[in-house]
Amino acid sequence: MNDRLLKTTNPGGSPLINERLFKSIGKPLQRKEDQRLITGKGRFTDDFSMADQTWAWMVRSPYPHARIVHIDKTAALAMPGVLAVLTGADCMQDGLNAIQHSPVPSTQYDVKLRGPGDTPVFTGQHYLLPVDKARFVGEAIAMVVAETRDQASAAAEAVEVQYEELPWVFDSREAAKPDAPRVWEDIPGNVLVDATFGDIEGTEKAFAAAAHVVTFKSHVGRVTGVGLEPRAALGHYDADGDAYTLYAGSGGAVRQKRELADVLGVDQKKIRVLSFDVGGNFGTRNRLYVEAGLVLWSSKKVGRPVKFRAERSESFLTDYQGRDLVTDVSLAIDRDGKFLAMRAHNLSNVGSVLVSLSPLGKGSGLITGSYDIPLATLRAQAVFTNTMATQAYRSSGRPEVTFAIERLIDRAALQIGMDRVELRRRNLVKPDQMPYMNAVGSTYDSGEYEINMDALLELGDFAGAEARRAEAQSRGKLLGIGFCNYVESSIGTPKERVDLIVHADSVEVVIGTQPAGQGHETSFAQVAADVLNVPFEQVFIIMGDTDVVSAGGGTHSGRSMRHASTIIVLAAEELVMQGRKIAAHVFDVAVDQLAYDDGVFRCLYDNRAWTWFELAAKAAAAKLPPELAAGLRVRFDNEMHTPVFPNGSCMCEIEIDPETGSLEIKRYATIDDVGRCINPLIVHGQAHGAIAQGVGQAMWEGCHIDPATGQPLVGSLMDYGMPRFDNLPSFKNEIAEVLSPTNPFGVKAGGEGGTTGALAVIMSAVEDALLPICGVIEMEMPATPLKVWTAIQEGRKRQREKSPARTDARPEVTA
Amino acid sequence: MNPITYLRPGSVDEATRLRADFEEAKYLSGGHTLLPSMKQGLARPSHLIDLTAIPGLRGIAVEAGDAALTIGAATRHVEVASSADVLRVVPALAGLAGSIGDRQVRNRGTIGGSVANNDPSADYPAGLLGLGATVVTNQREIPADEYFVGLFDTALEPGEVIVRVRLPVPLAAGYAKFRSAASRYSVVGVFVVRTPQGVRVAVTGAGEGGVFRATALEAALSANFSAEALAGLSIDSGALLRDMNATPEYRANLIMVMARHAVNNMGRVSMYK
Repeated sequence: MNDRLLKTTNPGGSPLINERLFKSIGKPLQRKEDQRLITGKGRFTDDFSMADQTWAWMVRSPYPHARIVHIDKTAALAMPGVLAVLTGADCMQDGLNAIQHSPVPSTQYDVKLRGPGDTPVFTGQHYLLPVDKARFVGEAIAMVVAETRDQASAAAEAVEVQYEELPWVFDSREAAKPDAPRVWEDIPGNVLVDATFGDIEGTEKAFAAAAHVVTFKSHVGRVTGVGLEPRAALGHYDADGDAYTLYAGSGGAVRQKRELADVLGVDQKKIRVLSFDVGGNFGTRNRLYVEAGLVLWSSKKVGRPVKFRAERSESFLTDYQGRDLVTDVSLAIDRDGKFLAMRAHNLSNVGSVLVSLSPLGKGSGLITGSYDIPLATLRAQAVFTNTMATQAYRSSGRPEVTFAIERLIDRAALQIGMDRVELRRRNLVKPDQMPYMNAVGSTYDSGEYEINMDALLELGDFAGAEARRAEAQSRGKLLGIGFCNYVESSIGTPKERVDLIVHADSVEVVIGTQPAGQGHETSFAQVAADVLNVPFEQVFIIMGDTDVVSAGGGTHSGRSMRHASTIIVLAAEELVMQGRKIAAHVFDVAVDQLAYDDGVFRCLYDNRAWTWFELAAKAAAAKLPPELAAGLRVRFDNEMHTPVFPNGSCMCEIEIDPETGSLEIKRYATIDDVGRCINPLIVHGQAHGAIAQGVGQAMWEGCHIDPATGQPLVGSLMDYGMPRFDNLPSFKNEIAEVLSPTNPFGVKAGGEGGTTGALAVIMSAVEDALLPICGVIEMEMPATPLKVWTAIQEGRKRQREKSPARTDARPEVTA
Repeated sequence: MNPITYLRPGSVDEATRLRADFEEAKYLSGGHTLLPSMKQGLARPSHLIDLTAIPGLRGIAVEAGDAALTIGAATRHVEVASSADVLRVVPALAGLAGSIGDRQVRNRGTIGGSVANNDPSADYPAGLLGLGATVVTNQREIPADEYFVGLFDTALEPGEVIVRVRLPVPLAAGYAKFRSAASRYSVVGVFVVRTPQGVRVAVTGAGEGGVFRATALEAALSANFSAEALAGLSIDSGALLRDMNATPEYRANLIMVMARHAVNNMGRVSMYK
């Protein structure tokens, strides 16, 4: 094998990775799963039903914060078909435990988030049903089980819950104040995390000496995933085996099994979880929902299977939500435009109970973005509020901090009068600095940031932007040009397990990831096919049933392709050893007289040779000694902690009609360094979806709450603006493959980069378009026509009054 | 959902008798407002009386000499949008019907249902009020100017059934609407109509009391039918709606902008977002 090639493209040095023999990897193969999914043969949770099954309906709190004084079940129990009405008191009586979400990121690469005064983080108690209080609108307070769904729904209305309304708080800034209503009485205030990182003294000195100090504040608001398939759960308790079975789509069945065992207080062996096709996750389904535990528990109580399916309106209220970060950042810059230091204060709204600190934690390690900023300090806070809990949502935490640093740099360019591209160029981390440890301790593995940026400017025709702006102006329109760089991290659960099994006509790969549309059945098969030199069509990926998949980390944080490709090649090395032993036995030669090369086992002293499938057939017919009796089958466990840092650049152009404030995206281009790209068709699809999801938050989506009542105002698709094809242009995307040195194939991640930069690039374009009228803008996303029009009116008013705009001139382009 | 009895009368008389028999009965046409309301528990009728199978309630006709257009109450949006007659005599009305909701809505929703519901963001109320239509019921004929009373409120008496609407054919008409990014309902829709007697301008999506006529705009356009005639005019935001999509001030602005777009695009529907 060519040494240079090996060094640059096979960081782990696996003899089974031979780029010249790749038949599948890197090819835009069509997805194996599409035929099933588009012909109605998908197996989504609601597709499963059981004989004699009953239905659950939740009684949900209408109040953001209320003490549960009394629950009267009498009337509901008397309703037709009702089998049970269950409350928090019943959960307590049966000794159910609170869900252990393991919410504090704990790998050695995660920033260490602590409670105020360096205390352990208080998480709240996430019981299946609360006993004391309702802490958000929509919280399940009681559960009705009935023969039919309609009967359960009707009886739920007859459950009489006596509430005592309490003062509430939904805004994180308000909740952090000492006199705010308290979501949990167990701790002195609502602040559950308060930790400071970085070189405080050095940062202060750098700020004191800086030629320029620039600040930016914003609130990156609350959004929700809106999976096409509302969440559902079917639970069955089998009294004969004293065992539980749950059908519930999620981000990983193994985790659900572990946490459910804990909630129910039973051995993990007693629980089987099946999660097959999932109609949208984006992080919302990665953490356990109370309904999953409730259907299992209630199934034991009523002695029959229990099914729950959320309404769309329930999903809006009670799917784990995303983002909600208040950020206050500032940058110290020297006379030449070199960044000296950064300060950040990030406040995360975790909702009513702590489910995950991933958004705060992931963002904390990336506050300095793609730039070489020698010094930084960060104060990271998290606070409880009377809202649905937040959770990692596509690109957890990274769009928020990318938004902060990139908008801050746009401001800096305006303030110091330097071109924004040039200012970035002077500060990007350079390839020869890799691996690069940033000022808050994250070590970026690899990347060619400036090359990406220049390629993006070319791809998006940045040079022609001013001409397009002039053309738009001739039509009375304002064209804004948005631009940003991003770097994100893929960490995720470090452990993964694979079973590789070779049959006479197929290879099975059993693995513990859980796709919700990412195409694992295809891209993992590409890897296994090329590693074993077998046809792609004959490789099958098995996932989702904990009776088959015994361990696995699930799918989140862009971990799946990296972990899967790594463990498949490591397991394959072991499988080759096993194959050589079996071949030696079957053909009665010594193991060292058997070679394996490129998918073929060869006898060294004669010309006998067998492919994997031929060997599997012979092994099946042979009587193998006990140590080989398993046949061509290995189980491999791997732990891989080192994170990777996908990165890229984005630009977009938005045309604004100043008369109505309406916005139209005219151009959108990205360069995404995903490391090795296994399937460009899938990666491009992921980029498109990721961009739409990020743009959605920037332009249309928002979980608004009525400040007067604390009631969510968004309960349906009538109010929640989803990205739609006719609101998006055709994207220009290119993939950059700078291989990561951290794993055998050099994979980074490709599912989230599109989202990471989208918030920043859209708001950069909006501000750029409005600059001549408004100067810099304080506009919270989504940037709706109403907000844009209002900003224009205010800007014009300021211009009329000749009050000095904060920045009223467009800086000259010097690049 | 509670049990519901579905009834399908064969005549308007039978429908009204059934309606009188059951206190909690509701008429059903396209059902695109009623059914979602029922799913949310906001409406709980005991009986649904489906009007769409009644002979004579469906169809489009042009009166001799193209004086007026008659559309049966149970005529679906898709039928109005694609009708050769409507496209010939009031193309903006066909455009309006084709701009309602999405394809599924247009295949079910009816003109009678929309007009009876009188949603403040619905499109047909602007079309009817702008054209000076007459709502013909089983009891009487109601001029549009008297028919639209307030938010979800009309001059219909309990049990009264819309049979058809009669729309005088104008010299020209144009419709411009600004749509919500989420619901795609009109945040503001302005229907401008030129008639021999003068110009009528009806505004939907904006008024606290539902659809209304912008009389100042009518006067200006009657004197000089051009976008320039609207310059300098403004709408008082005092009686306009406030919601997540728009403030009253923003709606006042959108009315002027949409009015101008309608005037500049007579014979068409122009959509903005």
